[in-house]
Amino acid sequence: MNSRTGSLFYKTGSVIEGIDGSIKLMWVIFWSVFTFMFMDLRIFVALIIAGLILFRVSRIPWRKAKVLFIFVLIFTAFNSIFLFLVTPTYGSELTGTYTTLFQAGVYQLTYENLFYILTISVKYIALLPITIVFLFSTHPSLFASSLDRIGVPYKIAYTINIALRYIPDVQQEFNNITSAQEARGVAFDKKDAKLFQRLKNYTTVLIPMLLTSFDRIEIVSNAMDLRGFGRYKKRTWYVREPYTKIDMVALAAGIAFLLLGIYLKATSPSYFWYPFN
Amino acid sequence: MEQLPLIISLVIVVAVVLVIVFAGKKSFGKFRTRDIVAIGIGAALYAVVSLLIIPVGPNTSFRIAIALLTILGSIFGPIVGFLAGFIGHALNDAFMYGSVWWSWAFMSAFIGLFAGLICKDKTFDVLGGKINGKQIALMYVLAVAGMAVGSLASYAGDVFLYGEPADKVWLQIIIANAMNLIVVGVIGIPVTIAIAKIRGRGRNLEIEEDPPDDQLQEE
Repeated sequence: MNSRTGSLFYKTGSVIEGIDGSIKLMWVIFWSVFTFMFMDLRIFVALIIAGLILFRVSRIPWRKAKVLFIFVLIFTAFNSIFLFLVTPTYGSELTGTYTTLFQAGVYQLTYENLFYILTISVKYIALLPITIVFLFSTHPSLFASSLDRIGVPYKIAYTINIALRYIPDVQQEFNNITSAQEARGVAFDKKDAKLFQRLKNYTTVLIPMLLTSFDRIEIVSNAMDLRGFGRYKKRTWYVREPYTKIDMVALAAGIAFLLLGIYLKATSPSYFWYPFN
Repeated sequence: MEQLPLIISLVIVVAVVLVIVFAGKKSFGKFRTRDIVAIGIGAALYAVVSLLIIPVGPNTSFRIAIALLTILGSIFGPIVGFLAGFIGHALNDAFMYGSVWWSWAFMSAFIGLFAGLICKDKTFDVLGGKINGKQIALMYVLAVAGMAVGSLASYAGDVFLYGEPADKVWLQIIIANAMNLIVVGVIGIPVTIAIAKIRGRGRNLEIEEDPPDDQLQEE
């Protein structure tokens, strides 16, 4: 297996790593569907706890995943500020009750909205652990074959494989070209030029990047054509293992989880859960 | 009745995709190996360049990578534009935030898709160095159309899946579109024209008579 890929894969040898990539991808999809169905703080907290247990079982070191958690927290914080400023009473529209917390002129902030912002922030965080588990525990070579297994056409699955393979190369090239242009005196820094000038200066990076990428596309696609890529409707994969018992158990667990979600959705009285009415 | 705008925007988005898929089979030819590689490398480019943002204000920034969607779409066609945008956006989100913002991945995808519609015009060929003023004007129109449909997709996704308030989503969409339009106008389309000029150079050679000897000696 080629290790030169743009991926977060980290070898731990845990049970979760042993589960087939396609099943883990199904988990991510089921988990997202589950989360998208609700606007209920209790469910999201339960999902976060379940996600953290999975994270623990997957034995991914915290220091590896930390930065992703921080980014999402920053994102959620910004999103919350937006919600505070733009729609200070949206939560009340959902519950139908207005309990004013703070009022200044036309700006009115309600307790219901505070609870709404808390709920939606927790919702975003609830999506995180499962994705992190998937990203860190799935080898990129296995990922394409797993997509093919769940019904994505192999040509599309292959594009993702190519993208993952070339991210480090493109990154390297991008840094080289940017440094080269800086050495020639093109300004990219805040101190050196005005905003629009800096924006325009990036054309001097994009043009060489694109021209080398076009050459690369020609070379790679010729090589693939010469080896007969796309000749048949189906293809076999170099790295793919048959499903094991663990995979079947994991799939059953995933389906049961989704059914639980549908059951909860069908029996819950309202969309937005607000306990203080 | 509150759901009405949501349903309408979903219907529009689905209709656009269906029309393009069915009309596309005839007009854009077969899906070749080159297209597959272009999607892969295009998505890698988009994911990497997405890391580069020039902040303008709080939560507002120029995302240079949007320009790539216009360029890739207009060179390789709508399917490559759509998938390179979608996959590139998803990969960048996954590596940056650990979760993918699906509704906004569609914004990137639709910008790429609409940029690619210009390939229906068979006289348009960036890599062959063929581009004219009318086509450049059309590229601007398609960029705006792509953003409009992408906005509807982002709106429907954010409100329906993530449970965001519509007012706030629209405000974000307006800001994002203004920024993206500037990036497409200042970088995306000019770079496409520049590439056409670079590629056009040396392909329209004409046979000339040998220069007289004395002129050679002067050089």
